[in-house]
Amino acid sequence: MVADARERRDVYNHLGFADFRLAVEVRDANATRHYGLVLDGYDALYAGELGDLAAFRPDAVIAGTPSTWQDMMDNIVGNGGADGTHTLNALSIAEDPLRVRSDDPLGRDKFFRYAETLQTLFDSLARSRPVAA
Amino acid sequence: MTLATADLEYLRRARRGEFDWGWLRNSRSEWGVKAVPSKVGLRLQDIMIGTYGVVPDHAPQRTMAPRGADIDPDVPDMGYTINDKAEVWSDNLLGLYEEAVSRQWSATRDIPWSELPELDPDIEHAMCQLSTVLSEVEMVASDFPAKWLWRINHDFVEAKMFLCTQVMDEARHTEVFRKRALANGGGLGKSKAVVERFLKLILDAETYDEGSALMHLLGEGIVLSLFRAGELLAPSPVEKKIFRLCMQDEARHVAYGTMHLRYRLERDPSLAEDYHSYLDKGEEIIGMLFTTPEVVEPTAMLAAGSVKAAEELGMAAADVLRARVIEEYLERCDHALLPRRARLTLPPELLVGVRGVEGKVA
Repeated sequence: MVADARERRDVYNHLGFADFRLAVEVRDANATRHYGLVLDGYDALYAGELGDLAAFRPDAVIAGTPSTWQDMMDNIVGNGGADGTHTLNALSIAEDPLRVRSDDPLGRDKFFRYAETLQTLFDSLARSRPVAA
Repeated sequence: MTLATADLEYLRRARRGEFDWGWLRNSRSEWGVKAVPSKVGLRLQDIMIGTYGVVPDHAPQRTMAPRGADIDPDVPDMGYTINDKAEVWSDNLLGLYEEAVSRQWSATRDIPWSELPELDPDIEHAMCQLSTVLSEVEMVASDFPAKWLWRINHDFVEAKMFLCTQVMDEARHTEVFRKRALANGGGLGKSKAVVERFLKLILDAETYDEGSALMHLLGEGIVLSLFRAGELLAPSPVEKKIFRLCMQDEARHVAYGTMHLRYRLERDPSLAEDYHSYLDKGEEIIGMLFTTPEVVEPTAMLAAGSVKAAEELGMAAADVLRARVIEEYLERCDHALLPRRARLTLPPELLVGVRGVEGKVA
């Protein structure tokens, strides 16, 4: 995703700049892991796996099970981008199977303010992995 | 007011090279400030430096002179009625303005209109009815700020600039939904009086406080949730993109409204009861919107996929969505220092599934 933002500058610049710290939470019965994504101006930066979620100071956390995330990624790769039921918004609107949470409602609202940039980034997974035949 | 006459004597002196140079030698504005651009360019935040960065709590004059300029003593009174910063300001204003300018899009260029697929006629009809409602309601969010812009003191120019971006955003939303209604053979649907009554409540607001609470916090918060639902339910990737792009704009307006109300109440908590009474009225009409077929049924149809499936599904999907809409609105009210859970005037039947209002549910 981060490479896509670097390589297709014109696409991301056209979408406009952003200021957002998103933690992606992958949780199952045994463990919860967090990964950080930072939108800073026109740049997208991967902060890696987060040892301390609070220290990352996320504006919002988007949480789901490993199978939900895998299903979303498979859908993106298989379709060359998320289909109608697998966009970030579609999967999170009913708070199931993904849930967006934030201590601050404005932090959660940032998830919507940058919706197109985030979806473009996630859809770029299809560019780095082969689309299914 | 008498109009000044042209100073022809000055013109004659200037022709002889006898310039005034007062603006060059005797200016009382601040000299020597130098703004440093950020990585994305020179933002408003970057030029809030020196005395230029000081926004007065009460504007000392009612003039269009740029804040920080050396102002003639005899400038005319512009008649501004909003002269207190707290009436329009929010702490996130500068960033929201820059973001709005950076994230503008075009309903003509950025939507892949040629990729609209032919849809089942009932689905097309539902999409067109939803587009009709949205094209109708979005323009009030241009009209309302436009109505108040000229009354806002120029010392709060950043607030005026942000509201100008909102005027443009909402014009584009009106445009994109009108285009969607006409782009695929369906056309416009029904316009309902109850919708117009809510718009009139906003437009007729006696104060900016009242209209902003009704529009930025209540109305746009609900429309933001409707855009989210639209993105989920949209019948093709074309509408999905429309809803995502609109969602981005709407969330900025809600972010302003929430933080503006917070700024206002932090400085004058005694206004809380006024705001509650504005929202009491607004929620009453919103309750009617939640029970208006032309508003409810297009989304039910889009969620189910057909008339028959919608009749079998009933309001299940709509109930879940409405509960989230109301929860998000209540969370924003909490954040704006105006807790509404105990005060909510929506009918209990509409509150089923809403967390944190259990005592009010029928």
